[in-house]
Amino acid sequence: MRDKKSKNLLWLSSIRFLLRHPWHFALSILGVALGVSVVVSIDLSNNSAKKAFALSTEAVTGKATHQIKGAAENLDEDVYIKLRIEGKIRKSAPVVKGYGRISGMNKTFQILGVDPLAEAPFRDFASQQSGIELGDFITGKNTGLIAQPVAEQLQLSLGDTMIVSVGGRAQNILLSGVIKAGNDRSRRALENILLVDISTAQRMFNMQGQLSRIDLILPDRREEALLSRIKGLLPQGTLITRSDSRSETVAQMSRAFEFNLQALSMLALLVGMFLIYNTMTFSVVQRRQLIGRLRALGTTKNEILTIILKEALLIGFLGTLLGIIAGIFMAQGLVKLVTQSINDLYFVLSVQELSIGLFPLAKAAVLGIGATIIAAFWPAREASKAEVSTVLRRSSNESKITRRLLPLAGYGLIIGLVGGTLLLIPNGGIAAGYISLLFMIVGFSMMIPLLIVGMATVFRPLMGKLNGIIGKMSVRGVVTELSRTSVAIAALVVAVAATVGVGVMVDSFRGTVVSWLEAQLQADVYVQPPSAVSRKADAKLEPKLVELLKETEGVSRWHTVRSVDVQTNYGTDQLVAIEQGVEAQETYQLKESLENFWQRYMVEDIVMVSEAYAYRHNVSLGDSLFITTDRGRQAFTIEAINFDYASDIGTITMHRDIYKQYFDDRAISGLALYAMDGMSVDRLVERLRNRAQGQQEVFIRSNKGLREASIAIFDRTFTVTIVLRMLAIIVAFIGILSALMALQLERSRELAVLRANGMTPGQLWNYVISQTGIMGIMAGILSVPLGILMAYILVYVINLRSFGWTLQFMIDPQVLLQAVGLAIVAALLAGLYPSRKMAQANPADALRND
Amino acid sequence: MFGRHTTKNENEFMAQDAHIQLKDLTKSYKEGDKSRSVLDELNLSVEEGEMIVLLGRSGSGKSTLLNLVSGIDKPDSGEVSIGGTDLSDMNEKDRTLFRRKHIGFVFQSFNLIPTLTALENVLLPLKLKGETDGDIIEKAQRYLDEVELGDRGDSYPDRLSGGEQQRVAIARALAHEPMLILADEPTGNLDYETGRTILDMLNSLVRQNGRTMIIATHDQDICQIADRVVELKGGKLHNVEHSAAAVE
Ligand SMILES: Nc1ncnc2c1ncn2[C@@H]1O[C@H](COP(=O)(O)OP(=O)(O)O)[C@@H](O)[C@H]1O
Ligand SMILES: [Mg+2]
Repeated sequence: MRDKKSKNLLWLSSIRFLLRHPWHFALSILGVALGVSVVVSIDLSNNSAKKAFALSTEAVTGKATHQIKGAAENLDEDVYIKLRIEGKIRKSAPVVKGYGRISGMNKTFQILGVDPLAEAPFRDFASQQSGIELGDFITGKNTGLIAQPVAEQLQLSLGDTMIVSVGGRAQNILLSGVIKAGNDRSRRALENILLVDISTAQRMFNMQGQLSRIDLILPDRREEALLSRIKGLLPQGTLITRSDSRSETVAQMSRAFEFNLQALSMLALLVGMFLIYNTMTFSVVQRRQLIGRLRALGTTKNEILTIILKEALLIGFLGTLLGIIAGIFMAQGLVKLVTQSINDLYFVLSVQELSIGLFPLAKAAVLGIGATIIAAFWPAREASKAEVSTVLRRSSNESKITRRLLPLAGYGLIIGLVGGTLLLIPNGGIAAGYISLLFMIVGFSMMIPLLIVGMATVFRPLMGKLNGIIGKMSVRGVVTELSRTSVAIAALVVAVAATVGVGVMVDSFRGTVVSWLEAQLQADVYVQPPSAVSRKADAKLEPKLVELLKETEGVSRWHTVRSVDVQTNYGTDQLVAIEQGVEAQETYQLKESLENFWQRYMVEDIVMVSEAYAYRHNVSLGDSLFITTDRGRQAFTIEAINFDYASDIGTITMHRDIYKQYFDDRAISGLALYAMDGMSVDRLVERLRNRAQGQQEVFIRSNKGLREASIAIFDRTFTVTIVLRMLAIIVAFIGILSALMALQLERSRELAVLRANGMTPGQLWNYVISQTGIMGIMAGILSVPLGILMAYILVYVINLRSFGWTLQFMIDPQVLLQAVGLAIVAALLAGLYPSRKMAQANPADALRND
Repeated sequence: MFGRHTTKNENEFMAQDAHIQLKDLTKSYKEGDKSRSVLDELNLSVEEGEMIVLLGRSGSGKSTLLNLVSGIDKPDSGEVSIGGTDLSDMNEKDRTLFRRKHIGFVFQSFNLIPTLTALENVLLPLKLKGETDGDIIEKAQRYLDEVELGDRGDSYPDRLSGGEQQRVAIARALAHEPMLILADEPTGNLDYETGRTILDMLNSLVRQNGRTMIIATHDQDICQIADRVVELKGGKLHNVEHSAAAVE
């Protein structure tokens, strides 16, 4: 019966309404666009990083189905020979792998040592098919291949010499050819690979007679049979794994990191939703009269609801479109930060370009439009439910909201408490943390109107003293139009609180790490080989150098650490062997331990795991951990859990004496030295550096230097978070601006009445600016407790549940001042345009408008 | 002051088959804890084509009564029957659908839709009613011509004077050919001369189209055009001999 045309006329009316309030319309779209753009940019950059990682692994792993690895680090070369000859496993290839830098290029390369003769089934680019000249490649001299674009960038031609630095040692490699990639995808992934002959690689890494791993291709049908045959040939402690398991581990490693980013982007969207809610509420409140007339003429509630939701759909659509476009641009910059963080944390990635997937875009569209509809739903329902008779009477809505203040605050409190209760669910997971956060934000927002009224009673006499009657009027205006102002203020509070929350979280994180480093770094001087990947101590110190440094005059004591990747029942884990005795208790801060741990750890098969490790694998004191050692699979009891913020993957620590019993590894990864009494640390560092001249290139840093370097790395990995916080601040700023500007622009009629009654343009400026300023101050003040609450949840729930780290809660007053300042400055700025417009406008025009 | 109006037993007006039948209508508003009665067991019946003037001081409950008749509001008790349909039994949605089909409105404050042009305002009830047959734009234009605003169809309400806005509202109230037209102080916001013109226009158009109308007003002069005058006082209706009132 009801044809489309009747709705067309309603729709036409809606569109015209939106177009008549262009500021409002634009700001609503902006609210959606901001939220969506943050989500899109983070999603895209995350995905690009992930894809880059997959490409890199794929290129290096090739078509291998299985890999054989040694228990600790390496594998004996004989294993390969045995496998080929006795085991007759044809599809097998030896690999020596490591990291290094080519001078002239500021990035880390993966150095891949292969046997081209065995490569054909595995890696196209490393086999003879791709035109590797065996004669040039296996010359007994150090020769290598790099990708064409890299060669061009380094301005190298065939026959030139590259200087490659590995673990602090410079080596000359002759460029004997370029890597030919099969397709475009792998070409990019191969841009950080230096391909060398296996014996060259063994020389480079000091791994004579050893391999990093052996790659295998086992046909599905005969997998079981072949596996058991191979296992029979392998020495104790050797491990055979499916080659996809490594990428799984890494995927797991970066999961927490990724989740954190995504969570932050959802927070941005939430703030965006508040902006939308704010603008939609406005647009409805403003139209109460119009809606009442339509209802009187016989438009049904559902038709009103539908038409408002359709508007929201339009706004959501336009905002999402804009947000996606902006997000793609922002992602270009963000992807570099994300890959950098991942490089710092986990591994070397070469691809830094954006890959735009359909899924993140579709997700953004659903989120953006969905969030808009959800945010618009309540205002729309409110609009449709308005009693026609009261609306037509022009009776004000304000008496209604004042009566509802207390119940509203009561519900808010209940919702907040429900949110708090959610936190008590044991193992609620990260999702529960965020849901609880959402509840608390909504709950707090519902208490805001009451809090505004409370603050206004304090502000009114104050402003009266400061600014006379206009000051008083401006405070009263905030209360008399509470249904509009409270929504605007609530939106600002949430936006600003988000910046406080993230700010306090980062501060707490940083503060905790700084004080932890202080305790952790007890020695005066630290010696480390340069490592390609910060959290991967894969390089070793040369024994000769260690001896030299230990015997330096001025050194009183010293101890070493060894850090290796081992296989445990939980996968690949980092194992650290320390040689300090009982005095290690001064260095390591234990969260909990069994009795006399430090007295017993030198002689018993017990280990200490980091907090993050215990959390990740859900282990506690007394549990057993199985480590694949050179003596086979061995059980160790976890008897201590220590604080460690250096790794979110977690580490296992044992005494070097115990390590020696199970591993044939004598290498040293780091050396800590203590200065004699009266010896200046800086002078000792100077002396040590002089002695190390001409030796392996290593980092010799004072306690303070290392601490600063560590904090620099921390800051680098947190760049993304800081950038996101900046984004949140921008969103908040624009939110404040838009909400307040819309509010003032909507008051043109009231302002015109004031002008008509003799208010001068100057007084009008004063009035509008005082009012937005007061709202800014109120929002700033209210954002502090909510922000701290958000930070509290981020630090104690979200962070704990994603990383397992206990952080100290630290509030920097500067963050709080910044938030209040942000709110006020934005609020004052928001007053400028409306004041100017209204001061210049002819009051008659504004009064004429119905 | 109101002259010699006679009050008869209200039951006398109640014919069972009347076009509009209000029976024992009661309505009160709550204010805080107190409840104030506005309409008190009010009865009225109106014949088809009749023009009723509803007199009453400001605040006597005229708008309240009209809102009950149109189904905008619901009575506390009593019946509202229009053309045989009992509104007090219907839910909100059905009352709304009934209203858009069968009732035309003229308000004191015009209440045009500011985002629609004059022509579109007239067109709106036609479209809401779902009329598809014939050219509805032509029909709307014809009504606009009738109120002598044929050339202002493209103007938005804020470009029209008060009198012009009210004329558009009259065209809007008639365009979808409702069986009942309710006018709530249609001249209240207009100067005397304009008010007269509007009233004449309303009167002639309503009669010409054979519609039933109830005009609420506090203006005794309007009684001239009425077939019957009733006054709302103390929550009840009283008959007024308007010829007498007019003579006096
Ligand atoms: N929504 C309402 N809430 C409370 N009181 C109301 C409401 N609507 C009308 N009233 C009261 O009912 C009485 C009648 O109002 P109304 O019908 O508008 O009178 P009239 O139209 O005759 O001037 C008035 O006293 C008015 O204050
Ligand atoms: Mg009235």
